[in-house]
Amino acid sequence: MTISRTLLATTAMTLIGSTSLIGCSKSAETGESESTTSNSTNDVTYTIAVIAKSNSNPPFLAAKTGALDAAARLSKELDGVTVKVNWQTPPQEDAQLQAQYVEQLVASGINGIAISVSDANTLNGAIQDAVSKGVVVVTFDSDAPDSGRMAYYGVDDKEAGRELMRQLAPLLDGHGTVAVLTGNPAAANLSARVAGVVEEADNFEGINIKQVFSFMPETATEAVAKMQQAQIANPDINGWALVGGWPLYTDNALDGIYENAKVVSMDPLPLPIAYAQKGQVQVLVGQPYYGWGEKSVEMIVDKLNLDIKPASELVFAEFDIVTKDNADEYLKKWDAWLKDD
Amino acid sequence: MMAALTVYGMLSPIEQKTPIVVDANATIVLLDSSGQEHEHLVRTQIAGYRVTLDGQVTDYTSETIERYESDSRTLWEFHSANRFLNKANLVQIAKNASFFAIMAVGMTGVIILAGIDLSVGSIYGLSAIVGAMAMNALGTDASLLVSIPVGIGVCVGVGALCGLANGSMSVGFNVHPFVITLGMMATLRGLTVFLSQHFYGKQSIGNLPQSFQKGFIKAEFMGVYPVPIVFMILVTIAGWFVLSRTVLGRRIMAIGGNETAAKYAGIPVGRVKIFVYTITGALAGLSAAIYIGYLGSAETNAGNAYELQVIAATVIGGASLMGGRGTALGAVLGAIIIQLIGNAMVILNVDPSVNQIVMGAAIVLAVIIDQTKQKLARRKA
Repeated sequence: MTISRTLLATTAMTLIGSTSLIGCSKSAETGESESTTSNSTNDVTYTIAVIAKSNSNPPFLAAKTGALDAAARLSKELDGVTVKVNWQTPPQEDAQLQAQYVEQLVASGINGIAISVSDANTLNGAIQDAVSKGVVVVTFDSDAPDSGRMAYYGVDDKEAGRELMRQLAPLLDGHGTVAVLTGNPAAANLSARVAGVVEEADNFEGINIKQVFSFMPETATEAVAKMQQAQIANPDINGWALVGGWPLYTDNALDGIYENAKVVSMDPLPLPIAYAQKGQVQVLVGQPYYGWGEKSVEMIVDKLNLDIKPASELVFAEFDIVTKDNADEYLKKWDAWLKDD
Repeated sequence: MMAALTVYGMLSPIEQKTPIVVDANATIVLLDSSGQEHEHLVRTQIAGYRVTLDGQVTDYTSETIERYESDSRTLWEFHSANRFLNKANLVQIAKNASFFAIMAVGMTGVIILAGIDLSVGSIYGLSAIVGAMAMNALGTDASLLVSIPVGIGVCVGVGALCGLANGSMSVGFNVHPFVITLGMMATLRGLTVFLSQHFYGKQSIGNLPQSFQKGFIKAEFMGVYPVPIVFMILVTIAGWFVLSRTVLGRRIMAIGGNETAAKYAGIPVGRVKIFVYTITGALAGLSAAIYIGYLGSAETNAGNAYELQVIAATVIGGASLMGGRGTALGAVLGAIIIQLIGNAMVILNVDPSVNQIVMGAAIVLAVIIDQTKQKLARRKA
């Protein structure tokens, strides 16, 4: 009796709560835009789920905006077609929860899924099942190459590392002692970026890679501490290549460093851009955050509507290069990308 | 809630698809509304599909075929189904609940003792990583007779050891389990990351025996994967039996109700507590075994913050955080309710962060109702 009454009350509350919240938020999550006139034989609605790694990370919120904008645009452009976006992203990185989302979305009749894969091993089975049930799957940001997905959209991580060094070397006039900062040393994407930095450094005779400094957990505080310790212990370091922008998500992270070293980093997010504006970071190398959502939705709709898939499974994007000169302009992009959040 | 979702699912049906693979020797053309044949056509202009094999022509209309996929030569036939009340979705909810429900049965025992175990998520993660390491060493072709005992044995063993450590330290040093299990949560998570990095240099370990995955935990029956649900049912029955039909169960209730009185009554309080924490760890290990069998790998982040969902399931299921009250069945129903909320969010296309708000509110409300009810009962008495 105790259980049933408690459950009843809980259920009623959740029902009321979820219904009212649904009413508030549902329209904001769709890029629906009904065509007013139609010459099509049969009107169709494509529902595409977008599953990013974490729900509060600005790059993924930009991807969400990109997906919603693409859905709204395609709904207007394509005769008889309505494209809806279903944003389902775990609060924190959780590959098992991503796999559950994939399975639930397939069971709820989704047409396509765009996913940034937290762990390929964990997601392979769920994506394979989705593909075998006729769902078109595109990965963005992080790939699952053995999952049977139609395509991957994002940057080549090794090339991103190379780009960091290509940007840093001229700042040092081709001579200097460079440190590399990475997070989890076992993470495949970070390892590839570090390898890219190190390989590209070989092309510059005067550049010496001092050490690769890693830290865990991947928090801004840990990153700042590691960088400060490394600089104090190695005052000869005059260049930093940050394969992720972790320390730049705090203020004053580079005190004692920027005076002695040139810094290039991945990810021109709003906070790191402030460092570029101050001149403490010379170059930020960006990924196609908005495009992750936009291009993924476009590719899925092309497949569903025209039975066309990309020429290559791997669709690599160009890097955005952000310096003090174009920092303000890039910041405006973020204002647009984060407009709903 | 289920009724509301069923009605919504009926009003907003989904298209369930079945593949029809076209023979490699057949030709297939797309028909527009005037019956003209095309090799390529925009989906919205397609009125039908014509398959010709050995001179025999079969026509399909776009009313029954969702689309044609040329690279796999597949026609996707569709039929409408209730968005919520369909076999795949219901099994999905129960399967997703099973990972938490199995742990919640153990947690019920802990909470009845007026204890807490904050380390179940980390035990789950460590058991999964160690289990995956053992099974990875067996190779992907290991037989069912080897992979099942190794997979389940290692995961449950690691979980039980962690639980034993929790119980022993809490009882032995007379420290509140909140502190001990909080420390264990961090220690075990660190160990999980260390083992994976040190021995594999990766965040996740895959390449597990197929016999343990598709041959056992992810075995397919009638298009769904019900094995995790079977485990959940078995654990629920065992939990119900132990808590309500055995001396051990009565001792657990007695300790939770009044530990001092239980001591004077001659109940070996310390041993019972250690046993309950050990079983809770073992069940977290069992849940981890099901996780790696179902998803085919273990990652270092597995089980992160799962303790919150497990405790929530137990509390929503009617267990009192003050101790002395709770049931295995209630905990399992609590886990299913949490998954139902999550499923409703997916079906209704609601931002997942709202899921957390609703779940948090449900826990608070369940506790408030419980406390109010107890106050009223005391007044009546």
